[in-house]
Amino acid sequence: MMKRRILLFYERRDAAAWLAHLDMMRLFERSLSRADWPLSWTVDAFNPRPEIVFGLPAGVGIETRKDPLEVRLAPEGQLFEPDAALLRLNLSFPAGVRVTGWQETDSGSPSLMARVRAAQYRLEAEGIGSAFSRTFAGGPVEVVQERKKRRIPVDLATRVFSSQVLGENCLSLMGGAGSTGHLRIDLLLEALVLYGGLRREAAQGASVVRLAVFLDGHGAGQGIIT
Amino acid sequence: MNRFDQPSYRAMLRSVRKPARYTGGELHAVDKNRFFFKKDQDLRVHFALCFPDLYEIGMSNLAIQILYAILNRDDDTYCERCFAPDFDMRGYLRERGLPLTSLESGTPLSDFDMVGMSLQYELSYTAVLEMLDLGGIPLLAAKRDEADPIVIAGGPITCNPEPMAPFFDAILLGDGEEALPEIIEALKSKKRNALTRREFLTSIAGIEGLYIPSLYDVAYLEDGRVKGIHPIDPAAPPRVKKRLVRDLDRASMPLEPVVPNMEVIHDRMVMEVLRGCARGCRFCQAGFTYRPLRERSQETLVRTAGRLIENTGYEEMGLLSLSTTDYSQLEDLVLALLPMTEPRHINLSLPSLRLDAFDFNLAKEIAKTRRAGLTFAPEAGTQRLRDVINKNISEEEMLDAAETAFLNGWDRLKLYFMLGLPTETDQDVNGIVTLVRKLIAVWDHLPRESRSKRLKVTVSTSFFIPKPFTPFQWAQQITPDEMAAKQEQLAAGLRDRRVSFTWNTFESARLEGVLSRGDRRLAAVIRRAWETGAYLDAWHEHFQADLWQDALELIPGGADFYTRGRQPQEVFPWEHLDVGVSRDYLQSEWNKSKKGEVTPSCYDRCSACGCQDFKAGLCPGVLP
Repeated sequence: MMKRRILLFYERRDAAAWLAHLDMMRLFERSLSRADWPLSWTVDAFNPRPEIVFGLPAGVGIETRKDPLEVRLAPEGQLFEPDAALLRLNLSFPAGVRVTGWQETDSGSPSLMARVRAAQYRLEAEGIGSAFSRTFAGGPVEVVQERKKRRIPVDLATRVFSSQVLGENCLSLMGGAGSTGHLRIDLLLEALVLYGGLRREAAQGASVVRLAVFLDGHGAGQGIIT
Repeated sequence: MNRFDQPSYRAMLRSVRKPARYTGGELHAVDKNRFFFKKDQDLRVHFALCFPDLYEIGMSNLAIQILYAILNRDDDTYCERCFAPDFDMRGYLRERGLPLTSLESGTPLSDFDMVGMSLQYELSYTAVLEMLDLGGIPLLAAKRDEADPIVIAGGPITCNPEPMAPFFDAILLGDGEEALPEIIEALKSKKRNALTRREFLTSIAGIEGLYIPSLYDVAYLEDGRVKGIHPIDPAAPPRVKKRLVRDLDRASMPLEPVVPNMEVIHDRMVMEVLRGCARGCRFCQAGFTYRPLRERSQETLVRTAGRLIENTGYEEMGLLSLSTTDYSQLEDLVLALLPMTEPRHINLSLPSLRLDAFDFNLAKEIAKTRRAGLTFAPEAGTQRLRDVINKNISEEEMLDAAETAFLNGWDRLKLYFMLGLPTETDQDVNGIVTLVRKLIAVWDHLPRESRSKRLKVTVSTSFFIPKPFTPFQWAQQITPDEMAAKQEQLAAGLRDRRVSFTWNTFESARLEGVLSRGDRRLAAVIRRAWETGAYLDAWHEHFQADLWQDALELIPGGADFYTRGRQPQEVFPWEHLDVGVSRDYLQSEWNKSKKGEVTPSCYDRCSACGCQDFKAGLCPGVLP
């Protein structure tokens, strides 16, 4: 019997926004357990885990408003009714975390992580508007990304798809996300400090909210999620 | 304003590793911020429950969860948590002159009515000073004025709090569940009646288990030994007896414990099945100071387990005690718990198992979910030395247990030993090697098809530290040179690809030895070490032996003065404190140990250690 796949959209705020990705995974595992969701478990006998996949891990300090994650249900989950279970789940989260909606995913659909294409952010910091305009003035914006002890030059200009300066202290942008062309917000802030004159303290104190994650349209006719 | 909306707060969190240590906001964390601060100042008590180590250590501690739950039941009390900041956060706060604050409301420690420190191990002492100082509280109790919080301490090592005595206004000996609410009520009364600090401390000196260091005077002999400790106020009892929860089954267990958002050291739900221990291993401080042994009923534990599973979502449940296999209804309990844990993939963990009491049928049932390694603690390598320390396990029992374990699929064995025990010889150290080889030989002699493929043995050693209120409180601690020699001897003997050998450092063991049997004069040493940079000393990577060595120069004789053997009639710095076990009994046990004579456990026969006077738990006439 095919396992049902349920796509959930969650928000995290306040203290929850300062959790590392592994902590978020554990938080959802425990919250789903408390809410008694009939999850499927991996067959690894040594360390079995519930089957939960996050679309796009959120960096420490990033709030989310509509991030996707997917759970697989155990075979007994055929009659499971997500609407009622969602109420239970939202009561079982710690403060700051909430699931805002759900969709059923076609069982043959590609993995959630493979479907992630872009993400929309809102950033607030003193002077971020003009710093962004100075930095992204049409040319390349090169920063160095350290990965597995390698230093890789990255042109952030190719990873920012669209942007809107909403004032001196506020900025909205859409950037690449997922396995290719991912826009790392910490690198973006670093670039704004290096090239745009954003004060380092302001960058460190920035409010970063991921408003949405965009998936490709494979399966179930869901299309782009906004 | 929500602090997460403040750029300065976000900047602080982005400047440190693991910011979740400092944010709070966990499931079941108490939030009284909206109504508590509107209450009349004189009718409310704001209590900071502090743990002088990092969040992930403190949140693994059951006592913190118990006291947090108990105190917050009262609407007029707001108990918040505060943990020692890691080096990065400490630096951030100091550079900007910011205070250390509580997790729940972000209140600086200096603004609380009372600050309670949980003392679990001696190497956390400098973190106490760091937290007080960062929190804006004068270090010395004598320097605090009416506006400063009352600073109290509790926890297992307060059985000898003397090295830290000048830093605390009050110190609680023994169990805190019943005593702490009494202290809070007394504090409410203080506020209502506008008592001075001194009046308040005098008024609580009569609460059972409460020790007010400033009400006692310590006299010293010329050579630095303690001459006597006497009360200087009629309100202070000559001897302070520890507080004891007589009926553990009725004692509170948190049913909605705070579930940390980040990974902590013991990341599981915990049920305390026993408190105290009946065995009487002569090196074990907890084994004596937590006497008498008390149990929770199976019904209570099963009921609690159901609630914990529903309320926490943890993947593991730990049955906690000093010796879990001694729980009288263990098999029934485990068989009742498994149908609750298995369907939810919850691993049942039974730490502190005794080899002689281990039931493999039970272990196989438990291991259905996840099979962990087996851990045993023979403590010494020869029967002679095991008799000296009263660890009543025979080699034959160990080998039999290992064979049964191997035949039942276990292939990872962890063995705990102590080095430097009283009367230990080279033969005893070699005895560890011999015992490990015999255990490996048991594996090798089993037919291949009847056991797993590969054996892994971990031998973990620690250095013996003489502790107050044990029969070995008179013993000498070996020197670092002797420690090094024993360790090398053992390492050479244990060279085998299937054996890994881990050990602790000499210097920290020696310092623990100094602090655990120390006197009030050590307060200056602790302060000097902290002032010169010592902090989070229990962390191997942060421990700086040279700072302590320099600070110990304040004491004539230095560390050697405290690690020396003690005279039979010598007055101990903890002589005015009473954990229930009598000095005469400990002395007789010390004498018996030198002759290699063993003492039966409390299950077999009452040895009249003194705790029978509590008339609680296993002691005669109370439990069958």
